Amino acid sequence: MHKIWLIIKREYLTRVRKKTFIISTLLFPLLYLALIFGMGYIAEKSRQHLNVAVIDSSGYFTAEALEKQNSIDNSSTLTYIKDSADKIITDHKAAGYDGYILIQAIDWQSAKTESLQFKSNKSYGSGTTAGVEAKLNRIWNEVKNQKLGIDVEKSNILTNSRISLLATNIKDEAADAKTAESIAFTCGLLIYLILLIYGSQVMMGVMEEKTNRIAEVIVSSVKPFQMMLGKILGIGMVALTQFFLWIAFVFIVYNIGKASGSGGMANAMVGNMQAMFSSVNVPLILFCFGFYFLAGFFFYASLYGAIGSAVNEDMREAQSLSFPITMLVVLSIAIMTSTIANPTSPIAVWASIIPFSSPIVMMARIPFGVPNTVPWWQLGLSMASLIIGFIITVWFAGKIYRTGILMYGKKPSWKEMLRWAFRKN
Amino acid sequence: MPILELHNLKKYFATQKAVDDISFSVERGQIFGLLGPNGAGKTTLIRMITGIFYPDEGQIIFDGKKFDPVNDVAYIGYMPEERGLYKKMKIGEQTLYLAQLKGLSKADALKKIKQWFIRFEMESWWNKKVEDLSKGMSQKLQFVTTVLHEPKLIILDEPFSGLDPVNSNLIKDEIFNLAKNGSTIIFSTHRMEQVEEICDHIVLVNKGNKILDGTVKQIKQDFKENLFSIGAEQIASLNGEEPFEIVGTKNHSHIVRIKEGSKPNDVLQYLLNKGISIHSFNEILPSLNDIFIKLVEGTPTARQFQKI
Repeated sequence: MHKIWLIIKREYLTRVRKKTFIISTLLFPLLYLALIFGMGYIAEKSRQHLNVAVIDSSGYFTAEALEKQNSIDNSSTLTYIKDSADKIITDHKAAGYDGYILIQAIDWQSAKTESLQFKSNKSYGSGTTAGVEAKLNRIWNEVKNQKLGIDVEKSNILTNSRISLLATNIKDEAADAKTAESIAFTCGLLIYLILLIYGSQVMMGVMEEKTNRIAEVIVSSVKPFQMMLGKILGIGMVALTQFFLWIAFVFIVYNIGKASGSGGMANAMVGNMQAMFSSVNVPLILFCFGFYFLAGFFFYASLYGAIGSAVNEDMREAQSLSFPITMLVVLSIAIMTSTIANPTSPIAVWASIIPFSSPIVMMARIPFGVPNTVPWWQLGLSMASLIIGFIITVWFAGKIYRTGILMYGKKPSWKEMLRWAFRKN
Repeated sequence: MPILELHNLKKYFATQKAVDDISFSVERGQIFGLLGPNGAGKTTLIRMITGIFYPDEGQIIFDGKKFDPVNDVAYIGYMPEERGLYKKMKIGEQTLYLAQLKGLSKADALKKIKQWFIRFEMESWWNKKVEDLSKGMSQKLQFVTTVLHEPKLIILDEPFSGLDPVNSNLIKDEIFNLAKNGSTIIFSTHRMEQVEEICDHIVLVNKGNKILDGTVKQIKQDFKENLFSIGAEQIASLNGEEPFEIVGTKNHSHIVRIKEGSKPNDVLQYLLNKGISIHSFNEILPSLNDIFIKLVEGTPTARQFQKI
């Protein structure tokens, strides 16, 4: 035991003291925030202002109607064209328009959709033209209302009065689907990242020891299994440390935001977080996150460790051998997305119990509520099977590791590695 | 009581009988040479002695008891042929780590590291990283990490490769010193002149089998070909009745083989009677190199894969 402890300490300290660890710990939350705000900013910036010429021969789309719409929504400008229609059709660019819409006579009593075309030299997505479409529809509605003799009051009744359906779990009022979704997504994604990033760190660490030939020196002092376990535990603790630092970061931001009480964005964020924390079972989620994070890490890290021990310094060999493992993690995240949309579907239930996908998928279900969305028996079964699962993978990896770490030369196939695993002593 | 006894050790791999029924024993305080061509099974043998591999069959007796890898590795120091240290780790920390893995307490380890670092003039290395060291320097460091915990049995695989003569001598003196202080050293190498200089006893393995076992002196006697070098003026008029035949000349000396049934004295007698003035007379013993080549020759240089 004492020797495993020494190995854990070394693995932990050499990694935590590295500059890359400190930088990535600080940078990740910043990047995360930048990503969230940046995406909004980019979406804002990339919206195009369209200058549209409207050539109307139906008589419904008048200059006044267009002007009124332009004043409501300034993301596009619709201009009524009367005289120079030919000139615009031949060259709208020269006339200063991004494109034009030709409106023929329309039958207002028709119950069919009228297709109009926005003709332009460039291609525009539906996201860009949606605003223009909305403006035209509003004008068209007013025209129809007028013809049918519906006044503004009646029209408001027609358009604004509607029925909205919200799924509410009557047994668990706190389980607000929107909040649960975002927590589920964050948890699943974090576990996914941790499995991939720290799993491959285990693999690289083992490869380093093998290619440096330090492995032979160490296995003359400790058992290969202890060496592997020490490495996995040490790196697992590094991941845990990073995770705690992030939680601390969130709490500090939260408390500073609350204390300063300054308005605007910070306040809104604090409010959101308060709402989030009060609507879910935070201690349970944190406990489960810790469990699935560690158990999932043991499950995958031992497999990555086994691969690291089997290959030589060539990164490509490692990649080709670790591809199936990485695919399992990626598959889990794919199942997770469907799980968030429907956390009680059979595929979500089974994927959250089967060990390889349970760390990610179960973490995506728990925020929806225990024991209503996830019954206790499912949670218990999932945890038990993951524990059994990682005991098996650690054992299996230990067998491969013991042979692989001292074996040089050709890259073994999965079949050969299985043979190592089932060989006696 | 020998420090190490191997009884009928066997280790078969999928395509090779790496070690096939090898027995020998190593006496306490001995410098023991484990020799053999590439792929003879030396490394496998050493890995069984260091507890890395379990033998398929046979027994290892260490210090009078059945070898127990978990506890006995603390009394063994192993320096593999392919040197290994963490490149990015600081030298002081790394040495401390390896010593603690061997079971030394931190305080004890620090004290011993300090002593060795002073002895090898390495004090200034403490906060440097291994990647800053030259090959020879890291070799010295590796040696220190191997012997630091005062093992009873030290196994050195090619300890001098890559060392300049000065550092070679430094390590060589330390090896003699360790042996004098009661450590036993198993020394594995291809360099026969070093074996002759350092080892008391050797074992030669080839293709997984032991083919030679004895003291260096004894082996040389066993393989001698009754050759003598005589420094003398021209030995003329041989008629076939002399107790020797001339097989060649080298550096103004005659190389002669004494005929069966004759003794060196007969040769001298004969020459003196002839009135030939002699200024040197030496027995030519075969070098270990010659013996090695003779024994190993004829077997394929590379080991072949075989069905088991």
